[in-house]
Amino acid sequence: MSFLEVFQYTRQDSPIHNIDPRAKLVMSIAFAIISLTFINIVPLLIFFLFLVPLIIAARSLRRWSRSMKGLSFLLLFIMVFNTLFSTVPNPFSHSIALTLRLICLMTSFSLFFLTVHPDELSQALIQMRVKFEFAFAMSMAMRYVPTLGQEAYAIMDAQRARGVELDKGSLLSRIRGIIPIIVPLIIVSIRRALSIAESMESRGFGGSENRTYMEQLRFRCRDWGVLAASVLLLLLILYLRFFVPLPDWVLWELPY
Amino acid sequence: MFQLGRNDLLPLIEFADFSFKYLGADSLALRKVSLTVEEDEYIVVTGPSGCGKTTLCRAINGLVPHFHRGYIAGNVYVDGINTRESTVAQLAPHAGLVFQNPTNQLVTLNVEKEIAFGPENLGVEPSEIRRRVEHFIDLLELESLREKHPHEMSGGEQQRVAMAATLALQPRVLVADEPTSNLDPKSAEKILGILAEFNRKGMTIVLVEHRLDLIAKDASRVILMDNGQIVADGNPREMLSSSVCAELGIGIPKATQIYMKLEKRGLKLGRVPLTGEELSDLVEEASCS
Amino acid sequence: MIIMEDVHFSYEGLYTALRGVSFQINQGDRLAIMGANGAGKTTLIKHMNGLLRPMRGRVFVDGGNASSKSVAELSRIVGLVWQNPDHQLFLDTVEKEIIFGLRNLGFSQEDAQQRCDRTLSKLSLEGFGERSPFSLSGGERKRVALASVLAIEPLVLALDEPTIGQDARQKELLADLLKELNEKGCTVIVVTHDIEFVVEHFPRTIAMADGKIVADGPTRSVLSNQQVLDLCSLTIPQLTQTARALHRTFPTASERCFLLSEVEDAIVEILEGQ
Repeated sequence: MSFLEVFQYTRQDSPIHNIDPRAKLVMSIAFAIISLTFINIVPLLIFFLFLVPLIIAARSLRRWSRSMKGLSFLLLFIMVFNTLFSTVPNPFSHSIALTLRLICLMTSFSLFFLTVHPDELSQALIQMRVKFEFAFAMSMAMRYVPTLGQEAYAIMDAQRARGVELDKGSLLSRIRGIIPIIVPLIIVSIRRALSIAESMESRGFGGSENRTYMEQLRFRCRDWGVLAASVLLLLLILYLRFFVPLPDWVLWELPY
Repeated sequence: MFQLGRNDLLPLIEFADFSFKYLGADSLALRKVSLTVEEDEYIVVTGPSGCGKTTLCRAINGLVPHFHRGYIAGNVYVDGINTRESTVAQLAPHAGLVFQNPTNQLVTLNVEKEIAFGPENLGVEPSEIRRRVEHFIDLLELESLREKHPHEMSGGEQQRVAMAATLALQPRVLVADEPTSNLDPKSAEKILGILAEFNRKGMTIVLVEHRLDLIAKDASRVILMDNGQIVADGNPREMLSSSVCAELGIGIPKATQIYMKLEKRGLKLGRVPLTGEELSDLVEEASCS
Repeated sequence: MIIMEDVHFSYEGLYTALRGVSFQINQGDRLAIMGANGAGKTTLIKHMNGLLRPMRGRVFVDGGNASSKSVAELSRIVGLVWQNPDHQLFLDTVEKEIIFGLRNLGFSQEDAQQRCDRTLSKLSLEGFGERSPFSLSGGERKRVALASVLAIEPLVLALDEPTIGQDARQKELLADLLKELNEKGCTVIVVTHDIEFVVEHFPRTIAMADGKIVADGPTRSVLSNQQVLDLCSLTIPQLTQTARALHRTFPTASERCFLLSEVEDAIVEILEGQ
């Protein structure tokens, strides 16, 4: 699942990381809409070349290119599939544009997920008036996913040593093989959940109406700047796309 | 917010004929337990598995009867508050509980958030929370872990963070339920060293532990439990050399065991030793006289 | 019984857990594997029943190369007992739980039933057969998990941290059981941090650090080496501490004492020698 890396937060100190998550959310959505506005190679390529420096600014070029490599098979498949089955006049050019669009779209969102810590995200949600319990549940899921994964492996090992075969036999016997994994996993998780709840309650969770937060996210000038620039760019692009006749070079297609 | 005047005349913790049976259980987990804990004490609670030690801890911070429900008789007072009439959250600034499994106590993604979690829940001022976070990071030497995901920490490191997170509520008593049983010996030693250090600085501690050889020397009092009852309660040297301890199959420190064997052979040392050094010193004294 | 030759292993190429481990375990050995967390102890025992396969090097179990046998085949020879019993219990009675593993590993229903009954009585779990594992206490669940492995009657029994959370009496009972099995010819391996348990009950110790074996030999000589103790993040047992302290004042007393009676005798000698 290496291509998912591009949506995984990495700890860095970069100008992109320092932007308020709310401003970054607006920015990412604006970029995603821009990616969807065009289905022509040239503008998408220009937009792509605009996004790459941002990824570099977020000091995540290596991670980003690694996931793109991981994704290359899927991208190639989309390209071939579209070229063969598309009904548009110039399917090859069209499918290249589609692939470029997908890359731009992923890059836009990865700018958000690569640089927003899950804690920051939940804090942003809370300040956007999402209930604390809900936002906290989300960050707790992040916290315990690796633990749960480890537990699943330990259970699989324990059951394999008792002769449970997980990857052999008919579909039915495979499904039967899952039960000895799922049941302990559920029970262990329930026990763990109770123990976590005990610890949280002991530290006053849910005890006061007036929960405070050690750190509040603050929207600074820079964040307003990012927000305004993203929105303006989006409006400009939409205006150009829909109200200005596009010159030929923008609509250029690969020779067919 | 909930406020109660602290009454310095009352004991810090008082169990008055307290009994408890978990919902759905056949037998009582605690039977008519009476116990008082004064400020500055370091109490070690021990006894065979299933003797009620964990229930005793839970009753101090209100998890029994508010989180674990069941049949209840008698009362527990902590810092003058009747635990029946209070919530777990209200008791949190009075009694802090550290659990056995470190992984299940870390619910956030970094150390600062973890320490802030408790005070935030209780509505403490942000600037005060920040002060406490820095204070406990410093006190428990967590600086190098500041940016780590709990998943990347060792059990001992996790347990230190969990202790800081509990202490951030500034409880008057720290209750620890087998905090070292999942840890390697070096980490266990470190955690127990921290507890002893806190006690020297005036923190009251109630610790449940099997490995008496590691802690008997720090404790001011040992409580032996069996079958939901307190069967003996007194100073560590008396308790560990008593016959009750041997009958319950409790892990008596080796130095104390040797002392008892020597006594049977008619060789009397000056007093009951709890560590190897003490035993060696006693032998030296005896050989000189 | 088990031979490892230059075994290397790393998890998904990310983190190297074993870097060239070689040793031989003979039938009837009773030994402990000790080391700090992350030293590779658990990874090592998972190679004994094929749950993990070496990336380099070879593993022989009961005279045959382990690579030619499946996990199920190896598990009939090497029984692994895990730290957390909840990782394997999933059926509604203890008896079904024990028979499940036996049937999977190819024992007949009749044979499995007999083995189950035998094991339950051996572990003083008579009367538990019809009970649900989930209604039992932690210590009892641990015994049920142990029973499910013992019922296979493996030639080698390997236990991962069996003394965690056990009180002194439970530890004694476990030690007695392991000794009894060992006397009947079963090879017993424990992975543990519990140095007193090892010193009292296991004649041989393999010490590991950072994916390598740093010492292998009689427990006394391995664990009296301070360098080994430091590498394995182990603390000195109280008896050894006593012996060392005595040795400092009375140089005639040996500082290499591991058993209670040894230290006791040393003290008697000092006091009566006056």
